Amino acid sequence: MTDVTLIVNGETKTASVPPETTLLKMLREDLNYTGSKLGCDVGDCGACTVLVDGLAVNACLMLAGQAEGKEILTIEGLSTLEKYHPIQKAFEDVAALQCGFCGPGMIMTTKALIDQDEDVTRQNIKDALSGNLCRCTGYTKIIEGVIDAYQEITGKKLPEIKPRAA
Amino acid sequence: MADEVKVADKTETVESLRKIDDNLRLPSVPEKRVFPKEIDVSAARMQTPAVGQRATRPDGRMHGLGQTKYIDDMFFPGMIHAKIKRAGIAHAKIKSIDVSEAEKMPGVMATLIGSEIPVNSFGPSLQDQPLLADDVVRHAGDGVAAVAAVTEQQALDALEKIKIVYEELPNVFDPVEAMKDDAYKIHNNESNIYASKTIMKGDVEKGFADSDFIFERTFTTQMVEHVPMEPHASIGEWDANGRVTLHSSLGRITLGRADISRTLEMPINRIRIIATVVGGNFGGKNEITTEPIVALLSKKTGRPVKCVFTREDEFISSTTRHPFVMEYKTGMSKEGKIMARKVRLICDGGAYCSWSETTLGKACILSAGPYNIENLHVDAYAVYTTKTMTGAMRGFGAPQVCFAYESHMDDMAAELGIEPLEIRLKNAFNEGSASPTGQVLEAVVVKDSLEMATERFGWKEWRK
Repeated sequence: MTDVTLIVNGETKTASVPPETTLLKMLREDLNYTGSKLGCDVGDCGACTVLVDGLAVNACLMLAGQAEGKEILTIEGLSTLEKYHPIQKAFEDVAALQCGFCGPGMIMTTKALIDQDEDVTRQNIKDALSGNLCRCTGYTKIIEGVIDAYQEITGKKLPEIKPRAA
Repeated sequence: MADEVKVADKTETVESLRKIDDNLRLPSVPEKRVFPKEIDVSAARMQTPAVGQRATRPDGRMHGLGQTKYIDDMFFPGMIHAKIKRAGIAHAKIKSIDVSEAEKMPGVMATLIGSEIPVNSFGPSLQDQPLLADDVVRHAGDGVAAVAAVTEQQALDALEKIKIVYEELPNVFDPVEAMKDDAYKIHNNESNIYASKTIMKGDVEKGFADSDFIFERTFTTQMVEHVPMEPHASIGEWDANGRVTLHSSLGRITLGRADISRTLEMPINRIRIIATVVGGNFGGKNEITTEPIVALLSKKTGRPVKCVFTREDEFISSTTRHPFVMEYKTGMSKEGKIMARKVRLICDGGAYCSWSETTLGKACILSAGPYNIENLHVDAYAVYTTKTMTGAMRGFGAPQVCFAYESHMDDMAAELGIEPLEIRLKNAFNEGSASPTGQVLEAVVVKDSLEMATERFGWKEWRK
């Protein structure tokens, strides 16, 4: 067993875990942050996405020990008791989530994308979400949600795509 | 003065005690739930006129906040984890299963093999599927033994210590081969065909004789896995009153309850199923998988037992969409009117029946397409093969035949030099048409829809 200390959503947390424990397992089972989901355990589906020092990471592929001392942001760290996070609000308003299992991962990936502070196009959004799988929605609504959240947070407009002439 | 000191002392002591308490309790204190105390109702949920407005989902907020509790997010006091060993061999007789080494592994609390299950068979139409194979393995994803251990890792490690001796049996992978008389009989039946359906309407031979052209083609589709984002999962708890409580990701809990009652040989009122939010079903979570296994492991250990499929389990052992072999033969007049059609459907059912019979029926009825065909003959067979079993999945056989009859339609249009839209309009159902099984249809708008759709997406311009 090794002691691992993480700064999860701004709070310092320590747990004693077996060395093979992944960051995801430690968050879910030792620290009770069950918002990040285990979908495939091999880094394909992105349901476990969390931000490690601001970067979107598949928590199922990172060992807890590798995250020692790092700042982790999970889905539970977005909204506060006072404020509903704009990404979560946008996802709710456009009904981007159906079964919801991919949701936390999608939202964390979106957060990483918007935090980059760069101009974003529809293609950038698709590229950013390429590591997150969803089997219900067909992605249309999720992309709509990301666009709404991006415009709300940054105040910028996404370049319009001209509809193809009929 | 003395009093002030006392007060200061007291405050300090209380503070220090509180700190010790905090240190002691971390990190086992469940995390507080952080979400806004009050959130305005989403504008879309306030609306009354539904058409033309954004739709939202009532559970969308919980999903987005990460507050929804799926099975894997639930933890009960004293809960242990179960994992299932997969055969890894397509077709074999089980000579022996030895779990003694696995039971000695650290953290292992119980094991379960098929012969310990009271009634080791289930299925929606034919009860031909074992929960854990105890006699014969019929596909590589068949479960053969289960282990319950303190952690998931310990359970997985223990699976490797289970020793099973197999005697290989011949494999049957091709559904067409499996139909032959000399094929190996997977379920010791007279034939590997376990369901067949026929539709006959008019006189096909006469229809073909009257046709100007005859087209023949065989279409095949592949196996498709549902891949729900949340793997199959359940938690079972056997209590002192001999009742069992199951938290399960099942989509059809009443059906599941009946199956569990049968397999556990227990009255149905002793089984309580709590359905939770399902992380994607698509038909794949319609049948029991792990539920009786966790119930029995809970009975053995006296603890709640959780079993979550690994992604590998999900692919090799859960149901899939049926692969079909579809032989189409259609007689056409010069003008592009369908005179007669003969269809032979072979549904590769995999190792067990599951929902194949239902699927076959639906595929059979829909195999002629939404077209008026006077002379029709459909033969359909569901066949056992030694592959992953197939079951319910969105459409129940309709997508497979739709692919075939529409592709066939395009082929014929190209061959005859008729516009693909034209040939469909010529043959499509109209008001009062009868389906192949004689159902008279009302409010038929196939032609209107086709015309409007092609107009909207610019079909004519695209054809130029």
